Amino acid sequence: MISSTLTVEDSPIEMLLKEQGTLQTPVGVFSAKHAAGAVEPQQAQFYKQLIPLSRPGAGEQYAFKVDLDKCTGCKACVSACHSLNGLDEEETWRDVGTIHGVDLSGASYTQTVTTACHHCADPACLNGCPVLAYEKDPETGIVRHLDDQCIGCQYCVLKCPYDVPKYSKSLGIVRKCDMCQSRLAEGEAPACVQACPTEAISITLVNIAGVAEAAFLPAAPEPSYTLPTTQYVTKRTIPENVEAADLHALRPEHGHFPLALMLVLTQLSVGLYAYSIFAESALLSTQLRVAGFLTMAIGLAASTSHLGRPLGAWRAFLGLRRSWLSREIVVFGLFSQLAAAFTLAAFVDFIPAGIVAALGVGVLVIGVLGIYTSIMIYHDTQRPFWAFPITALKFFGSAVYLASSGYLLGSTLQGDASMVALSLLVLAASAKLLVEFKMLGSARHLEMTPARKTAMLLLYPLRSIMLTRFSLSAVALIAAGILWVAPSAPWLAVLVCGAALSSELLERSLFFRAVAAPKMPGGVA
Amino acid sequence: MSVIDLAKDQMRLRAFDGALTERLVQNPAAHGLGRLPKTVKPDATVNSICGFCGTGCSLKIHLKDGEAVNLSAQTDYPVNIGMACPKGWESLTPLAAKNRATMPLLRNEQGTQEPVSWERAMQVFVRKFKSTFDEHGSGAAAFLSTGQIVTEEMAFLGALAKLGMGILHGDGNTRQCMATAAVAYKQSFGFDAPPFSYQDFEESDVLIFVGANPCIAHPIMWQRVMLNQRRPEIIVVDPRKTETAMAATTHLPIAPKSDLTLFYGIAARLIQLELIDREYIRAHTEDFASFEVFLESHSLKRAAELSGIAYGELDRIARLIGSGKRVSFWWTMGVNQSYEGTRLAQSLINLALMTGNIGKPGTGANSITGQCNAMGSRMFSFTTSLPALRDFEKAEDRAEVAEILKIPVERFPTENSFAYNEIIDAIDRGEIKALWMVATNAGHSWINQKRFRAIRDKLDFFVVQDMYGDTETAQIADLVLPAAGWGEKDGVFINSERRIGVTRKVRKAPGQALSDFNIFRLIAHHWGCGDLFKDWQSPEAVFRILGQLSKGRPCDFSGVSGYDFLDSHGGVQWPLPDGIETFEPERRLFEDGKFYHPNSKARFLYDAPRPMPEPPDAAYPFILLTGRGTSSQWHTQTRTGTSDVLRKLYPQSPYVEINPTDAKRLRIAPEELIQVASRRGEVTVKAVILGSLQPGQVFMPMHYPETNQLTLDSFDPHSKEPSYKACAVKIIKS
Repeated sequence: MISSTLTVEDSPIEMLLKEQGTLQTPVGVFSAKHAAGAVEPQQAQFYKQLIPLSRPGAGEQYAFKVDLDKCTGCKACVSACHSLNGLDEEETWRDVGTIHGVDLSGASYTQTVTTACHHCADPACLNGCPVLAYEKDPETGIVRHLDDQCIGCQYCVLKCPYDVPKYSKSLGIVRKCDMCQSRLAEGEAPACVQACPTEAISITLVNIAGVAEAAFLPAAPEPSYTLPTTQYVTKRTIPENVEAADLHALRPEHGHFPLALMLVLTQLSVGLYAYSIFAESALLSTQLRVAGFLTMAIGLAASTSHLGRPLGAWRAFLGLRRSWLSREIVVFGLFSQLAAAFTLAAFVDFIPAGIVAALGVGVLVIGVLGIYTSIMIYHDTQRPFWAFPITALKFFGSAVYLASSGYLLGSTLQGDASMVALSLLVLAASAKLLVEFKMLGSARHLEMTPARKTAMLLLYPLRSIMLTRFSLSAVALIAAGILWVAPSAPWLAVLVCGAALSSELLERSLFFRAVAAPKMPGGVA
Repeated sequence: MSVIDLAKDQMRLRAFDGALTERLVQNPAAHGLGRLPKTVKPDATVNSICGFCGTGCSLKIHLKDGEAVNLSAQTDYPVNIGMACPKGWESLTPLAAKNRATMPLLRNEQGTQEPVSWERAMQVFVRKFKSTFDEHGSGAAAFLSTGQIVTEEMAFLGALAKLGMGILHGDGNTRQCMATAAVAYKQSFGFDAPPFSYQDFEESDVLIFVGANPCIAHPIMWQRVMLNQRRPEIIVVDPRKTETAMAATTHLPIAPKSDLTLFYGIAARLIQLELIDREYIRAHTEDFASFEVFLESHSLKRAAELSGIAYGELDRIARLIGSGKRVSFWWTMGVNQSYEGTRLAQSLINLALMTGNIGKPGTGANSITGQCNAMGSRMFSFTTSLPALRDFEKAEDRAEVAEILKIPVERFPTENSFAYNEIIDAIDRGEIKALWMVATNAGHSWINQKRFRAIRDKLDFFVVQDMYGDTETAQIADLVLPAAGWGEKDGVFINSERRIGVTRKVRKAPGQALSDFNIFRLIAHHWGCGDLFKDWQSPEAVFRILGQLSKGRPCDFSGVSGYDFLDSHGGVQWPLPDGIETFEPERRLFEDGKFYHPNSKARFLYDAPRPMPEPPDAAYPFILLTGRGTSSQWHTQTRTGTSDVLRKLYPQSPYVEINPTDAKRLRIAPEELIQVASRRGEVTVKAVILGSLQPGQVFMPMHYPETNQLTLDSFDPHSKEPSYKACAVKIIKS
């Protein structure tokens, strides 16, 4: 019939396009064969021995077991997980990396490593979540993410040392591997287990108490932080010097600009309120409180814009028991109330002075506490670049540096530049810059430590941002120096303020981008 | 969700369920499948052979209203028994790529490509080819086919081009991968007949992989190796310590291109130790006596010196090969893509023949195929030979084919066509003026790209027929014909172990893209030779014609009645002549010791090893090895590059692997951008420092266009296959 149409001179293309657009009905015989009520999935014959026969007993949980001697890097597990779990196009919950090194005999050693969520005994994601969107199943030990509970703060992404939770911009939430718990519940194997051609992945029962003593995987992040339960087994000896194939890759992390803005502005705000308490003139104090209120408001608005699902942010108190993010949100919530009242008090005269003073102290104490919780959020991720001392210097330093520049401006506008503010500014800025500069020296380390990675990230891919940050602070310091000798030049104070604020925003952006984020070994970049 | 609903939803203190949770909820899916997300729950399934590599896995396509929504691996298919590699899992993704060609593209007067109607495309196509013939004769046009389209389409392309249009020269990209194995088999066995079935992976005691990295290149074959319960010795012969070398029991990191000397040395040692099967040799082979004489000038000692492997180790392996255990030899591109590849493949065939390791379980000299339909191309594409490996130059062969096809025998060319490299040379000489390229990306894959790009300008007319309008090659074409891809058409592939399997149409092609089959019908119509192909109504009709053409030939599959037969039998290995009622799902050849030469004997073929065409020297001190990068990359990446998942699984930027000693000496840091230069080109790539290759060697994966800027266009004299694997380069620090 088609050829008869083809011989008709005017329509072969239409006819062929029509044929191309027609799908056959699938082979009926084949479809019918299984519709007749197959009791178990066909693949069950292969995976039955790869999942435990019994549910976990007391003190036990499910865990992935990876036989490294069988994993040869085909990566079918990654694709199968993606397809059988219906993930978004760019979303993957499993990854395959490589570790390599040289063994004692001098022979090269290469091993591919398949990895997914380790369903940790002490999950950092769960501990950090401000809204309790994670739960560890009491029976199976599977660390589940509750998608509808999630507000998209992405703190778990920073908390997990294995780069497991994946944020979806389109959904506004994080998702992650749940060990195919609904499959396991029905006696089916997880997708990765079903799909591994060499049976390298299986599900096993582990004794939870024993996880802390178990060896994990060389070249993977230190397991004591979260107690990952995945068991990597091999009959070979893994050389001690193995490193991840992506160890030397210099990939800056996400900049999280709203968070950078939030941190810098809330710190500035706390500093401004502090100055407002000690300000010599009432007018200046009022100006500082208003400025403090505005910067706080912008900062907190920015932090909300960072959330994938901000409408649920009110639930953030749920995680108070464990999550520093939860604590930060609550403390800054309180701070905003007190700050508003304290600011308002500058404009009304019916509030007794004692209460205003108490409010001022309250604002200061809660503000400092707020900065402390901010520091702890990052310190708690166990990333060396975000460790307490350096982060405290940066965050409190910003408060002093920027608020001093603000006070400087205010005092200059009202007369002469405050020498106290000027001194504090120079002190805070110099301390910060010195420490940051010193950290670059880690680039000379022989081993790719997190400190070296940070230094390398700053010196290479992030070089221009870093140089701009230093230059802007230099401008601020030089302008401040001129103010010292010409204390009544407001435009110089404006310059100090502008340069300092932009410089600190870049510092905070680098804080996020240059961090060495721990992860499981990846592939060649 | 409305704003109010959203607000309500967000008012819950604890949300254990809801719209987001629902997205991933799994339900039992029936059809023999387990639980699947309810968003992609199929209402039917159909089996379809994967369109990437030559393993030939069967994928179970999940259909909703007749259209593919997902897939998994077919459990009960004898090839892949429920498994697939990541490319297979991602097979549907490249179909939905944004860069699919949806309209014919014609280069206009200003030199830019613009969309035109099929009508216009066909007019130009026919006018250009006809005027080329008028001006320069039938030798002035050529087509280059592929190992990636279905057999029926290959046959149609060849028949249309050669018998319908009168194009003399045609070849396929299988010249770049399987030509060596095909010629080696043809010379040794009398027919291009890979003797094995995948069952042999499981039944072997000693598996010797030469220039093959199945762990990532053919993961599903490696699955079969892992299913071997005989605690086999696995020996990998490869300059690099590849994934497969790591997984093997023995790795022989031989010096590049010392392979032929190595296998002759082992053969000499086997004779010396009298560990050969003289009875088998006498009964089933010929020319062994002269081979024995030839081997007198070879020794294991010399092999050890040249290869850099200790004599004792080689001696152990020689004794293992001659031990009477089941020994199988497996090779891929490390052998095929060599300037002396044919003899190298035959050096392995010789070892199998002289130890009687052929025609028995777990034995054989076995070529692992690259592309999904390399064998379909070799058997039925009308390029190197007439269908079923008949000879263009033999009158009786032409007559047989003419009679079955009902096409006048006068239309058959009486001479062989140029091979791929000869077509390139002929374009360079100005003899070939029009070129038609189907489903291959020569603008990336052909060796020594600088020359290829230069000769493109010598073509008056260059047509590219492809799924994508923006491949390196499509970009330099005068006319681009938009083709449907795998999954958008029916047909059969023939895999490594001679298994014929059906691939199915489960998606509609985008825009005005047509299956290659339909494009050929359209061209036949516009050329005015549609009548010749009036029986070529559908792929299955052509499949039955091919079955008739195979009748009486070694690759006889006339016992296959059609696609449903293939589907219900889990694919069918040739031969399956008409009249065979029952047969095993996995069969090997030569169990009766009868080969396809007229005297039924296999032949020993050999030549003295030659030095490599461009050895490293003072100016270019490194030897550049090339090969596959990861399991998630396929050739020039036109398809695998469109999948987000696959892209995550391979390095994004081109790179070169270099030994730590060399890196230290040249002060190259990991991840540093360096220049690699050969006498033909210079590229900037990232340095990856790895101990898996020897000092003096560097390795670049073939998937990045940079690699063939460097390669040297040298060829095996028998198979004309390009020698991609070795040329001299230098490293320049940026």
